[in-house]
Amino acid sequence: MLALAVFAALAPATAGEESAKPTLKSIGELLVCQCGCNYGLNSCTHNNCSSDEEISAFIQKEISEGKDQPAILKALVGRYGVKVLASPPAEGFNLAAWILPGLALVMGLGVVTLAVRRLRRPPPTATAPPAPPVDPDLLAAIEEEMKQVADA
Amino acid sequence: MNQVGSVGLIAALAFAAYGVVAGAVGGKLRSRRVVRSAERATLAFVVMITLCVIVLEILIFRDDFHNAYVAAHSNRELPVYYKVAVLWGGQEGSLLFWTWLLSLYSGFAVLLNRRKNRQLMPYVISILMGTGTFFTSLVFFAANPFNELSLVSATGSQAFRAADGNGLNPLLQYHSMVVHPPMLYLGYVGFVVPFAFAMAALITRQLGDNWIRTTRRWTMVPWMFLGLGILMGANWAYAVLGWGGYWGWDPVENASLLPWLSGTAFLHSVMIQEKRGMLKVWNIVLVAVTFFLCIFGTFLTRSGIVSSVHAFAQSRIGPFFAAFLAIIVLFSATLLFLRLEFLRSENKLDSMVSRESGFLFNNWILLAAVFAILWGTIFPILSKALQDVTVTVGAPFFNKVTIPMGLLLLFLTGAGPLLAWRKTSFQSLKRAFAGPVALAAVAGVVLFSAGVRHFYAWMALFLSVFVAACTLQEFYKGARTRMQTARENFVQAIYNLTMRNTRRYGGYIIHLGIVLLFVGFAGQAFQTEAKGLLNEGDTMRVDDYVLRCQRVTSGEAPNYIYQRIELAVVKNGRALGTLQPERRFFPASQQSTSIVAIKTRLDEDLYAVLGGPDPESGKAIVEIFVNPLVIWVWIGGVVVFLGTLLALVPSRVEREMAGIRRPREEAVAEKYAL
Repeated sequence: MLALAVFAALAPATAGEESAKPTLKSIGELLVCQCGCNYGLNSCTHNNCSSDEEISAFIQKEISEGKDQPAILKALVGRYGVKVLASPPAEGFNLAAWILPGLALVMGLGVVTLAVRRLRRPPPTATAPPAPPVDPDLLAAIEEEMKQVADA
Repeated sequence: MNQVGSVGLIAALAFAAYGVVAGAVGGKLRSRRVVRSAERATLAFVVMITLCVIVLEILIFRDDFHNAYVAAHSNRELPVYYKVAVLWGGQEGSLLFWTWLLSLYSGFAVLLNRRKNRQLMPYVISILMGTGTFFTSLVFFAANPFNELSLVSATGSQAFRAADGNGLNPLLQYHSMVVHPPMLYLGYVGFVVPFAFAMAALITRQLGDNWIRTTRRWTMVPWMFLGLGILMGANWAYAVLGWGGYWGWDPVENASLLPWLSGTAFLHSVMIQEKRGMLKVWNIVLVAVTFFLCIFGTFLTRSGIVSSVHAFAQSRIGPFFAAFLAIIVLFSATLLFLRLEFLRSENKLDSMVSRESGFLFNNWILLAAVFAILWGTIFPILSKALQDVTVTVGAPFFNKVTIPMGLLLLFLTGAGPLLAWRKTSFQSLKRAFAGPVALAAVAGVVLFSAGVRHFYAWMALFLSVFVAACTLQEFYKGARTRMQTARENFVQAIYNLTMRNTRRYGGYIIHLGIVLLFVGFAGQAFQTEAKGLLNEGDTMRVDDYVLRCQRVTSGEAPNYIYQRIELAVVKNGRALGTLQPERRFFPASQQSTSIVAIKTRLDEDLYAVLGGPDPESGKAIVEIFVNPLVIWVWIGGVVVFLGTLLALVPSRVEREMAGIRRPREEAVAEKYAL
């Protein structure tokens, strides 16, 4: 289950969307309105926003010409710059934006594993003297007491 | 009045600065007299900042437009309850408000520790007042809310009184906005207390679990307020911004989430130190990181270095914050380095499959999420600085990066409590997980059969069932034991179980709240929307809903003019009443805003936004969203809040332990004569 979640994290979530026929809504979700509102294109709340209308009209035109999503996004970047995209393209310096969170996750796992190893009690060696037998009643009483302390 | 406010600020600054020095000197010299004077200086700081807040509120309520802040952020027609909110509606006032909350926290810390933690308190005061000195200086020198309006001409400047003010930002004129910022600030500011205790513990080398025990509640309270503030902000965004959602991964939203996440990691990690004497360095790092992120969040909100929809409180105070952040890092890192030898672990980890390792993995995910969100938030700044290209890092990035982490965390929320301290045997693991896994598997199949195909949404719901089952199983098992041993009925057993260990069971209730939050988040995957142009009598359809425009009206309220549309809602032939979204225009600030109309049900919200008139047809532009399961986000928030309140209540065992500890603490206080 965990592996599934991690796999899903690594798999590009947009792969399916890219192959489907683009719509104004699906492309709008990947864009930022250029009116200065800082919202996504689909979320701009300005009344009759000229930027929203202009970009939407452009997308509609591109869709009607039969272009696919990557081509439309490329055309939009050519027209408005890379800032029109709601997330940086995974190329050049911007690749760092995508790689580092995953890298931090993996490195963090490494650090935790290392910490666990260092913190871990060494296994008893063969030369260690055998432990004296413990009264089972006493052991049960200690365990009960420890549980109570731990619960407190 | 402005002069009174300014004098109050100078006096507060003097008291805070004295508190810094007297605390440190008194602690070093072990002088009771000097330490007591530091405590009194802290209380005087509280009085002075409170005076400043009262003066500013009086100026606001008297419509004193001679004051620049009042003229910029209030107006005559502003309703009374929003006039209270003017205090935090702009940069200067909100910084004063921040300082006031800091003073209150400091005052409480002093009063509640008059006979406790006597070795730590001098340095705690010093650090609290150090922060107080920074903020009061900032308010006085860089963002003074008591500046007066003046007309500058060739002959010199002349006092000036505006006829009316610009008014409060329309986006802030919403009922939850009266409560949201104070909650958020109570969260941000409150983390200063655990930070102060941690640093004092480092200075005094008192690095046992005393500072951890003392600061548990001081951490939970701001954590609770910060969480509440974040949710209220989300609720405000949902009801006012009108884009159909409640979380847009805006830099300012992210800034508030960061310390909440690291604070969550700290609240879990401290348990390992308390129970096993481990992770001492890590806990100091976590508390310092959380405080750093609180100040960083304030800096991000106010400096204007990132583009944000929260642009109502920006000015050029960034460099001051950058310097303060650098001081926090240097100070805490140096102290930590100097005290490393006192922070050795008292115990070893017995097994990889244990509660301790569960907490370690929880910390791993939480901190990775903090990094990912921080990285995404500051990436546009780096891109601009390093490649001179403006990029946007928005919702698509954050959703892709953080959703898998969120799901892993959700899994640990359920699995962690099932692991025993020290070591969990395979047999007990099997026993504990069998029921929840089986239940979740059944739910997974049912969800899939019901048509839930969105992977993340399915996973979130599947894990929600798993976590809820794990958590409820813990209640059931505990209650069953009590029913057998104490001969109590089920309700009594649950009550006594919970009250005997409020911390543990409060925590479980918080986990249930988190489950509900994730159920609400999953619903976002199934949002549908439609846009239409409506005149009276026109209808539009979205999903199973039919909306008919009954009336379009316009009118005037004391502070704004509005246009309203009345929509009759019918679902599958059944009338569900009306929705009345509004568009408001505020003449004072020349800005407009929308008031969303929402019909809330347990399964979904019907959400209507009026966009104003269409320039070509003159018809009303109406946008309708169907948002499944949103209400569970708010219910989940309330459950988290209630769980936190419960965890704050001292348990029976804790009260008994405190009784044993008190004489010892008083003896220490006497011995060290502080």
